[in-house]
Amino acid sequence: MAAKAPTPWQTANYGGSKNASVLVGGKAAAKMMKKKRCLLIVSAHATRELDGKRLIDYAVEIGKAGIPVVATANMIKDLRDAGFKKAVDLQLVDITNRLRDPEWKGLDGKGPYDCVAYLGGIYYVQSQSLSTLKHFAPDILTISLDREYQPNASFSFSNIKKGEWKKELDDLVSELKA
Amino acid sequence: MIILRKFMEEIIMAKPSGYLKADELKTPLASFKKLEVQIGKVIVEEEPWEPMGPTPKPTLTQLRSWSVDRLLKRYRPFYSPFCDRCCLCTYGHCDLTAGKRGACGIDIEDTQGRIILLACTIGASAHAGHARHMLHDLIKRVGPDHPLDLGNDIAVEAPIIRNILGIRPQKLGDLEEVMDYVENQIVQGVAACHTGQEGSYIDFEAKAMHIGLMDFVGMEAADILQITALNFPKGEGDVPLVDIGLGCMSTEKPMILVIGHNVIPSVGVMDYMHEHNLEENLELAGICCTALDITRYNARYKVVGSMARQLTFVRSGIPDVVMVDEQCVRTDILEEAAKVKSAFIATNEKNCLGLKDRTFDLVQAIVDDLVKYATAGEANGALILDGNKAGEVAVRTAMKLFPMRKKFKNVPSEDQVVEYAKLCTECYDCERACPNDSPTTEAVRAAAEGDLTQLETLYEDCVGCGRCNVVCKKGVPVKEMIDSAAQKAIKGDVYKVRVGRGPIKDTEIRNVGAPIVLGEIPGVIAYVGCANYPNGPKEVALMAEEFLKRRYIVVVSGCSAMDIARYKDEEGLTLYEKYPGEFDAGCLVNVGSCVANSHIVGAAIKIANIFARRPLRANFEEIADYVLNRVGACGVAWGAYSQKAASIATGVNMYGIPVIVGPHGSKYRRMYLGRSDKDEDWYVYNARTGDKVYGGPCPEHLIVTAENMDECIVETAKLCLRPSDNFKGRAIKLSHWIDLYRRKYGKDFPDDIHKYIRVEGDIPVTFKEDLVRVLKDRNWKPSEIPDPTLYERFVKVKKVK
Repeated sequence: MAAKAPTPWQTANYGGSKNASVLVGGKAAAKMMKKKRCLLIVSAHATRELDGKRLIDYAVEIGKAGIPVVATANMIKDLRDAGFKKAVDLQLVDITNRLRDPEWKGLDGKGPYDCVAYLGGIYYVQSQSLSTLKHFAPDILTISLDREYQPNASFSFSNIKKGEWKKELDDLVSELKA
Repeated sequence: MIILRKFMEEIIMAKPSGYLKADELKTPLASFKKLEVQIGKVIVEEEPWEPMGPTPKPTLTQLRSWSVDRLLKRYRPFYSPFCDRCCLCTYGHCDLTAGKRGACGIDIEDTQGRIILLACTIGASAHAGHARHMLHDLIKRVGPDHPLDLGNDIAVEAPIIRNILGIRPQKLGDLEEVMDYVENQIVQGVAACHTGQEGSYIDFEAKAMHIGLMDFVGMEAADILQITALNFPKGEGDVPLVDIGLGCMSTEKPMILVIGHNVIPSVGVMDYMHEHNLEENLELAGICCTALDITRYNARYKVVGSMARQLTFVRSGIPDVVMVDEQCVRTDILEEAAKVKSAFIATNEKNCLGLKDRTFDLVQAIVDDLVKYATAGEANGALILDGNKAGEVAVRTAMKLFPMRKKFKNVPSEDQVVEYAKLCTECYDCERACPNDSPTTEAVRAAAEGDLTQLETLYEDCVGCGRCNVVCKKGVPVKEMIDSAAQKAIKGDVYKVRVGRGPIKDTEIRNVGAPIVLGEIPGVIAYVGCANYPNGPKEVALMAEEFLKRRYIVVVSGCSAMDIARYKDEEGLTLYEKYPGEFDAGCLVNVGSCVANSHIVGAAIKIANIFARRPLRANFEEIADYVLNRVGACGVAWGAYSQKAASIATGVNMYGIPVIVGPHGSKYRRMYLGRSDKDEDWYVYNARTGDKVYGGPCPEHLIVTAENMDECIVETAKLCLRPSDNFKGRAIKLSHWIDLYRRKYGKDFPDDIHKYIRVEGDIPVTFKEDLVRVLKDRNWKPSEIPDPTLYERFVKVKKVK
């Protein structure tokens, strides 16, 4: 018997026909991110804390593990305050708009990305960005690293509890560093 | 000719239908046999005022050279579908995910374009329907020949109508022709949404932009007719301050609450109270734009607040009578009024709420029934489609009901809150239903332990939708618990808002035109729209003050105009008490209700016409081209929620003015985004030489979402840049943008700063040393400052080849 699909965190936020597969864990996410040309988008809620550790701190660790980071809203300030200077600041719609453009050469001029991970998003805003990529850049694998289920992603956690989420993010960082 | 004209006038006088058939007719002028005459319309030759421009009364397609060939090529539609499917016809559902097409051949981009057009037609219809109803009512009140006179300082009384239709309305009756045109265009726009009609998202967007323009025509008609017929303020900056807030209502008097946007029934209330010397005896206050308009009619009355306050205020039990008109009225408001035993009156045919039409019944009978329904807590009321009668019924009902009601409340006591909280199973359904993801579960959990402070904290951020209540399986009334915990804040909710002043004066435009166009006044920023804020209303006030301190011109309207009043500084002053109301640097202008948004665009048009002497009449493209390239204006709709906001923003965009929406605005599912990394998109003609030159990515976007307040502030400063800025003006604008960027983003300079510096004189002195170094690193080369236009035909001097 197939497992019941999770409901979106904001329960009415059904995308429709194509819904995210559930991420089995942080390690699995990291393996996908390492295998592909991946970008991390860090958004407006990344200042939130998770048992004493901010999402920003996870973003720094992911960035230091070699994943290029785009900071949306004004998260660039928090990243820089945390000692990470390599991030690029772009508005979320702006980076989404570039990602959907197959001609875009990427932040480093080396070509388009085929994987985008999201962290610290405002739920409904991230949902809209994921929807754009789902429809207009279907070849890009999208991974929501937030704890709430995002149906418009390719992969998402399934409304997991905070403790579990922390463990998955810790696993993800370890795997990326490995 | 004179005899014929007089004869036709006689026929019109005798037969307003314009149709006459007679076997024999004798008139003082002539005798006729077997006469049949039909006159379509008597056109009276108007005094010459300006030669007719190229596009009078444009149809859906006549402005495509602007929308399709220019705006949408640079600012391409960016879609974020809300849903993967189309469900509009019986072939559906059709799955349109990732390139699939539906049964009719439509794809996901076209579907999004269609939804945008549909939203804009709904929004424009709401304002146009409002204008038409008011026109009908106010012609009855003051007659069709009532002059559209906005005073000595406003000669260009209707810049949008002049610019789009090519007519100069001089009396109320002239607005019939305006509304006929708008209604016709909206019908064509809706028709294009039918299955099997338009099949290109670009053309859906072009039509949406056209309908956005129609929205502005309708709004301008609505506001100038109510200003002139009801004697609202006519552009004076020193209009009075009035009370605003849930805490400023007396509970010692009968109270009438009006909700909506159409002030006519509220005028009925105010006139009846005035005529019967009852003004001291009752309270009258409003929610949403009707509230702003009652204070424009008479500044003794009060504003409760934005539409987000409906549930909280009605459930407070203070209103004895709830009277609704149209737009932004909760559809469950009748049931909410019944819960607190308030009488209920609906007054508009667009919003009948299933009530019996009592328009032609005796007033006493209606009052008796309303009192009976209210005291029984019955969800019933009266539909009264006559503003004067509705006004009389409201006043008499409130006076009769007041001693019987004793302000019945629907807000639980603190003890009840704790008991309700104990029912919570921590399922998180309330939190997951909250548009703002507010932490309701933790707050309710704390309340169960007797700590109500977390619930109290939620009050300010609450958008007032009530979805938390609806989803609770245990029946825990989370919204009422929040309101109960916030009683202290609600009682202290007493502020001052400036009455809506209406249009910007021609004299003001003459004063600020040059500094705006040259960039020396760094921008005109309009905070407009509804109350679907991500973090409560305070952010709008904080953003407005940031730019007021920097001497931008700040303009406000609608719910934003109310909400910025709900913030006091350390000395207890609101922004309205600190900043004057003129249209000038460092001033805060409240234009008025939603329909007064037309004056904001009107001001931009007047800069082109009055200051720069560009022809106005039926000359849309030249005016819009001027505004896009020269008028550093930016709209911010931080809490936009409605279809009206969608059509307003799209109309503003059509005029070349960029808009930033708050995070909830992302759900409009379409932005118009520029690509600053594509240099080829940003070339303009230099009208002085005819050369095509790089004008820089400004404004960078036409409509864009910001995720938080800090991002919005920085983006606002950036979107005020224009290709026409002179070097002094550009340096001023850049200094504000860079300073804000440093403070909010913690970096020295934006990554794209070099794209906005044309000559060394553009570099702000404060940042010169560092910025010169950055420019050197980025291989910056100087370019010319153009006299910018997107049309070759506006080039003044052609280069000899």
